[in-house]
Amino acid sequence: MKKISNELNIDPKMVENILKFSSNITRASELVSAPDEFNFDSTEYDVAYQEDKARLLHYKPLTKTQHKTPIIIAYALINRYHILDIHPKKSWVKNLLEQGFNVYMLDWGSPSNMDKYLDFDDYVNGYLHNSVEFIKNESSVEQVSLQGYCTGGTIATTYAALHPENVKNFIATAPVIDGWKDTTVISNLAKHMDVDKMVEIVGNMPPEFMYYCFSVLKPFEQGIEKYLNFFNNIENENFVDNFMRVEKWLSETPPIPGALFKQWIRDIYQENLLIQNKMYVGNQHVSLKNITMPIFTQVAVGDHLVSPECSMPLHYGVGSEDKTIRIYPTGHVGMIASSLSQKVVLPELGEWLKERS
Amino acid sequence: MSVGPMRNFAENAKKISIELMESNEDLAEFNEHLTEYYKQLNETWVEAQKKVNLKIPEIPHDAENYEAYKRVWIDIFDNDFTELFDSKHFGENYGHLVSKELELTKHWNNIMNVVLQSANLPNKQEMDEVYREIHSLRKRVSKLEAKVRQYESKEKGK
Repeated sequence: MKKISNELNIDPKMVENILKFSSNITRASELVSAPDEFNFDSTEYDVAYQEDKARLLHYKPLTKTQHKTPIIIAYALINRYHILDIHPKKSWVKNLLEQGFNVYMLDWGSPSNMDKYLDFDDYVNGYLHNSVEFIKNESSVEQVSLQGYCTGGTIATTYAALHPENVKNFIATAPVIDGWKDTTVISNLAKHMDVDKMVEIVGNMPPEFMYYCFSVLKPFEQGIEKYLNFFNNIENENFVDNFMRVEKWLSETPPIPGALFKQWIRDIYQENLLIQNKMYVGNQHVSLKNITMPIFTQVAVGDHLVSPECSMPLHYGVGSEDKTIRIYPTGHVGMIASSLSQKVVLPELGEWLKERS
Repeated sequence: MSVGPMRNFAENAKKISIELMESNEDLAEFNEHLTEYYKQLNETWVEAQKKVNLKIPEIPHDAENYEAYKRVWIDIFDNDFTELFDSKHFGENYGHLVSKELELTKHWNNIMNVVLQSANLPNKQEMDEVYREIHSLRKRVSKLEAKVRQYESKEKGK
């Protein structure tokens, strides 16, 4: 080895690193479990309510007493809800349960061709509204706390504007609100998309298209460096476990119903109707001024999927007087599934919510 | 003049031929946009590599600085490619590229529709009608169920 490195004038340590890296690649299949062997659901739940493919998950309490107002989380339309409970040490759901909250999660399910006509109205005034009504009935409360993450934040925002009487507290985590201010690549692609033609011909938005959109976000960091780090750390069990869980989560993107996708791209990214209070959902006018309940907006500085400039206008656009905004030094996923989220984001949210629950 | 099945066959063959001819035109336009797409990627790569080459002499060639080199390479490439993907000229060309790809898919769907119809099977348009009807029915059922629940809870409260 020394001879080779001397001849090529390369640092012998570098050659050693390259050989170790090659050896790690060949040993990967022995050291790493198959993605199917990872079980996402680390926190126990019951399916409390089901409508079509949407399921309302109710997590089992981890404390003797709980705060009175239950919280329902509206997950995003991209990927599945598992990221909020991806690992016991990084679980958003488990942390809230440990803080004494009664937690529900709305899993939108995986739409098939038959669901291509599902639109914003079905998601907001159908699945989400019916889930909230179910929780009110089951918990004997008049209102719930509502959290929306990413595109789930857009759905939750329209719900809070259309049904403010049902929402006691509103938490918007990296919500997609002001499409024209969004500085991400996704926004540029969305602006130039013939979404009518796409939905007419393809129907539901296929996962492959989503994968393309993800691949152009930090392509070299996400497409090369991430995997170099993986092979370099292949003997570190914790690292591999975390890596594989996130990879499995990333690879399980369901299609997005065509009608919903069309309205989302057109109303949010192309015409930017939501922030201008010009959006309609099921013939009902959506005005952010109707959001008068306490609101907590969470954004991440390094978010390359939903830029802070896209989320922050919600804080200034709502009618609430009790409003808080927090900006965290992390990314889109880091805000909800990292040690920072456990140490900083969730304790702050918990404090805010406890005072109002 | 043919009648019956042969007439159908002739009509279907004509429809399929038209679709194939039109798809050739779209394929040519698709290829133009695809060429432009790869040209943009290639030009960005070359420019980014030039920037990396200018930086390399500043970094010593040893194992300790390998990480620094990797960081510089990834940062420069990520920045340059993000700038490209964020640009109007990329967005427009990519939009046209996808649009032409969809046109090609549409021709394929139209051909399949002719084949399915000739075999007395439901085609895409007919299946879409079924899906729309199911969606509308599900919506009506959901509204009725909500009304029943409302009525039941009122009855319980009495």
